[in-house]
Amino acid sequence: MRANSQRVLLVLRFILGGIFIYASLDKIHHPAAFAEAVYNYKILPAYLIDSTAIVLPWLELVIGLCLILGLWLPGASFLSSLLIGIFFVAILFNAARGLDVHCGCFSTSNSTTHGAPMGWYLIRDGLFLVLAGYLCFRVLRGKRRAF
Amino acid sequence: MLRQLGLQVLWQVIGILFLGIALGIVVNQVRSDGLSMVGDWSPEAQLAIEPGKTLVIGLDEAQQSFYSKRAVFLDARSPESYQEGHILGARNLPFEEANKYLNAAMCNIPKDSLIITYCDGEGCSLSKDLALELFYMGYDNVRELIDGWNLWKEHGLPTKKGTSPE
Repeated sequence: MRANSQRVLLVLRFILGGIFIYASLDKIHHPAAFAEAVYNYKILPAYLIDSTAIVLPWLELVIGLCLILGLWLPGASFLSSLLIGIFFVAILFNAARGLDVHCGCFSTSNSTTHGAPMGWYLIRDGLFLVLAGYLCFRVLRGKRRAF
Repeated sequence: MLRQLGLQVLWQVIGILFLGIALGIVVNQVRSDGLSMVGDWSPEAQLAIEPGKTLVIGLDEAQQSFYSKRAVFLDARSPESYQEGHILGARNLPFEEANKYLNAAMCNIPKDSLIITYCDGEGCSLSKDLALELFYMGYDNVRELIDGWNLWKEHGLPTKKGTSPE
């Protein structure tokens, strides 16, 4: 049982860590395009757009590396849930006000054809949120026992 | 026990935030295509093709070109929105399906003619994206009328319903 549950944790860490690292790479590569994607969400004030675009991808990379390498797991799993939660709310907010943004989640390329519908982003992000929330819960519960 | 765990999470969160922010800023300083920390996201700056030259056109000028028939108006919104009402004479070139509509919409428009793109709402980026796209395709005289459809209606200028421009 115990070994099994440890394996689940490990798999979860690798999945989420992989998602975070994968999501960060294209944004790191194309800062201007990512800034445009942040702008298109029309949530942040203009003076925060560029600093967000500069910092966020690296934050995602650090979180992803921590998750995979098993470093600072409580903090990394907590931050991953928090970030995915924020993204989820941002997409939900824009869906609610009828703004169809290209989400810029994994790729900064802004194709001229219709992107995936907002509903799909919400379902995908909701799934990530459940995974991250569960990982965070498991890590923190394990740690609590250890203290 | 809980407090200890909370503190541990807090310190790690601070550590990760610090690392991410530091890496982001340092790499941004070093790389050649780095961004400025506070960018200019005004419509004029976004449509600036070179310092001091922007693709934005004001309503007065757009209106003059409309009455003198010097300009071609392009509606960058969806065909549904276009049908519900558009600037009289405007052609529909939905930016999101630009590839599909481009040839039909741009036929017999010379590269140097005045083209005015518009969509609905100040936040609508379709007409901006369309204007930039056309500019880079070689249409040197393309302009964007920001919030064009709203402005046009507010000022009681000629509009038309249905699928045909006029």
